[in-house]
Amino acid sequence: MYLNIKATKNNTFDAIVVGSGMTGGFAAKELTEKGLNVLMIERGREIKHPQDYDTAMKQPWEVEHRGKVTAHSAEELWANKRFGNLANDESGSFFTNDKDNPYIEKRPFDWIRAYHTGGKSMHWGRQSYRFNKEDFEANAKEGIGIDWPIRYDDLAPWYTYVEKFVGVSGQKEGLDVLPDGHFLPAMPLFAPEVHFKKMMLEKFNRPVTVGRVANLSQPQEWHTKLGRASCQYRNKCVRGCPYGAYYSSLSGAIPAANLTKRLSMLHDTIVAEILYDEQKQRATGVRVINQKTNQVEEYFAKIIFLNAGAMNTAALMLNSKSNRFQNGLGNDSDQVGRNIMDHHLGVGATATVEGFLDDYVYGQRPNALYIPRFRNWGNDKQSYLRGFGYQGGASREGWSRGVNADGFGGDFKQSLTKPGQWTIGFGGFGEVLPNPENRMYLDPTRKDKWGVPMIVFDAAFGENEIMMRKDIMNSAMEMMDAAGFKNITGYNRPEVHLGLGIHEMGTARMGRDAKTSVLNAFNQVHAVKNVFVTDGAAMTSSSCVNPSITYMALTARAADYAVKALKKREL
Amino acid sequence: MNRRDVIKNVAMMLGGAFSAPTLMAMNHWEKPIQSHPNGVAFSLTQIQRNIVAEIAELILPKTTAPNDVSPGAKDVGVPAFIEMMMKDCYLQPEQLSFMEGLVKMEQVNFLELNDNERKGILKYLEQETKAEMKARQMKQTKMGDNDDHEDIKKVAKGLPFWRLIKELTLLGYFTSEEGIKASFEYVQIPGKVENIKLKPNQKSYAY
Repeated sequence: MYLNIKATKNNTFDAIVVGSGMTGGFAAKELTEKGLNVLMIERGREIKHPQDYDTAMKQPWEVEHRGKVTAHSAEELWANKRFGNLANDESGSFFTNDKDNPYIEKRPFDWIRAYHTGGKSMHWGRQSYRFNKEDFEANAKEGIGIDWPIRYDDLAPWYTYVEKFVGVSGQKEGLDVLPDGHFLPAMPLFAPEVHFKKMMLEKFNRPVTVGRVANLSQPQEWHTKLGRASCQYRNKCVRGCPYGAYYSSLSGAIPAANLTKRLSMLHDTIVAEILYDEQKQRATGVRVINQKTNQVEEYFAKIIFLNAGAMNTAALMLNSKSNRFQNGLGNDSDQVGRNIMDHHLGVGATATVEGFLDDYVYGQRPNALYIPRFRNWGNDKQSYLRGFGYQGGASREGWSRGVNADGFGGDFKQSLTKPGQWTIGFGGFGEVLPNPENRMYLDPTRKDKWGVPMIVFDAAFGENEIMMRKDIMNSAMEMMDAAGFKNITGYNRPEVHLGLGIHEMGTARMGRDAKTSVLNAFNQVHAVKNVFVTDGAAMTSSSCVNPSITYMALTARAADYAVKALKKREL
Repeated sequence: MNRRDVIKNVAMMLGGAFSAPTLMAMNHWEKPIQSHPNGVAFSLTQIQRNIVAEIAELILPKTTAPNDVSPGAKDVGVPAFIEMMMKDCYLQPEQLSFMEGLVKMEQVNFLELNDNERKGILKYLEQETKAEMKARQMKQTKMGDNDDHEDIKKVAKGLPFWRLIKELTLLGYFTSEEGIKASFEYVQIPGKVENIKLKPNQKSYAY
């Protein structure tokens, strides 16, 4: 074998992090701050914070198609378009071109991707909720999937650590179902929401709180040090924030890692394979392809963190075949690519609110109200398992109410310059159960334009999710009725598939037993101890709360373990 | 609602009968129209452009009343915006129904009618569209979904002409610089969010 000694030396780091998104960024920050030289590899283009947020400061009239998606973009971003209007002039360039990066749907899967620096942290919903104690125990109690190898108390200090760094605005409520965290000042509820909160407590004993959101309501010294400033309440987060007010890998973790001067980054570089040394029984590095030049190169490190996003992380493991791992690296259990979970959404209700006509709002809250899970909690018992939370809120109608209303002419025009009535709407985020038959795998013959096998999705909601959806709609309508709202309309979108929640997870789950899981309690691949998976792939169950803060807490915890193990020469 | 009922309703709304020219014009309403050939790029003739401009201006006219001095749809470039949006953002079903609506307007000699007659035609169109949208909504409810208006577009036939031109007129006007500044209190960087009490006659904020 020809060995280029010089290249090997130049391409060698302490750690390689695959992916620069929510967890890749955090892994790079933790590992560099703990003294490691890190190479972070991003498959997409480079975006610089904040100068590459091209649309961030555009005024409404400067956005050519005013928020609508062009037919051309809808065709190029065909999977993304299923979510709604993300592919428009404001944010379309921050999502992946699906035509250039196709995937195969044996059963439909809504895969929304963001191949660039910061990944999906660039435009996440920023809702940040801790899993509760029960979330870590329910699988074992109910005999669903496998047991988590960790409990809430294992992760709690890491939640605090991440919340502090990220900056989460929220209200402490003292609820077991929604554990409090380290919060910046909460944003306000609006008048009809305050009424709703009171009514829900009175009639159902259900708490309602304002969303816990990763926007800086009051920046702390460690935020301003990184150049992050207070939220300006424009609610244009999806365009990228020039103030760095919401947390992203771009505004937070990567600048922090850069301060150490130990971070190297590659862009436009697809990691095609993890290299495995059979004698040492460890991964030695990665084989990459430059997406522009097709040039192939190898990089080496003592430890490797996989943070490519749950589906791409699993695909990378499946594509890393060796004599020892003929079904993919670390896939002795055959669980890599299985147990796809997400949160199912697109179900809820809307209504009009009578009164509150002298109440109005100045500014745009980049946040919503949150109704924590109340199903299968306490004394409640349903015919399905687990539960859901609602997100939504109240607002006064603007000019767009005129589109479906009768009328035209001068008086009509003037009437639309005043706020209309209040309306309210909220939709559920439901827990999805792990099911090994919900899976993705590599197509045996079809390859993408870089010669990497294409991903096939074969997954769908099960009976538990379908039953829960009916309850999500009916309960929303019932709560709105109890609050005295009118014109209540329920919806349960039939065309929603797994993936649309953009919380895809579960494809390399943590567990106690190497026969039924891929990772151990510290996110190490059971059979390849120097490879860590800390993105959504690691999840053993999904809870119903937005997962990013949990992914980051798992990442920080695993990075801490990895560096300690390295120092003890255990890795 | 059939056509006769719609005409009757509209006549009542207008406080009387239709004028003879309007009724004569209406006789052309249901003449079969030549459909837009498949795969041809969306484009308008000068007459059609004029019709679009006149309808947009009737929806949101220039006003000079002391309590409401504000530009009209034509002043802020709405007609060209509508054409650009129809071309760039809509697929064939909507483009076809938009063209169908315009051809009808040509058949009733819309540009030859006086202001009242034009308004009568638009009232008629509004009622006709309302019935059609209601039928669509019912179809949608049966699908188990009546929230996401993107889904309306999935129905094989495109959204009706009036719905399209009205939405695009409002969108183009209320997001134009002159339209926003004349209509709302425009705040680019609010800097805070807070509950406030609405003052009498206070305009909406736009951001």
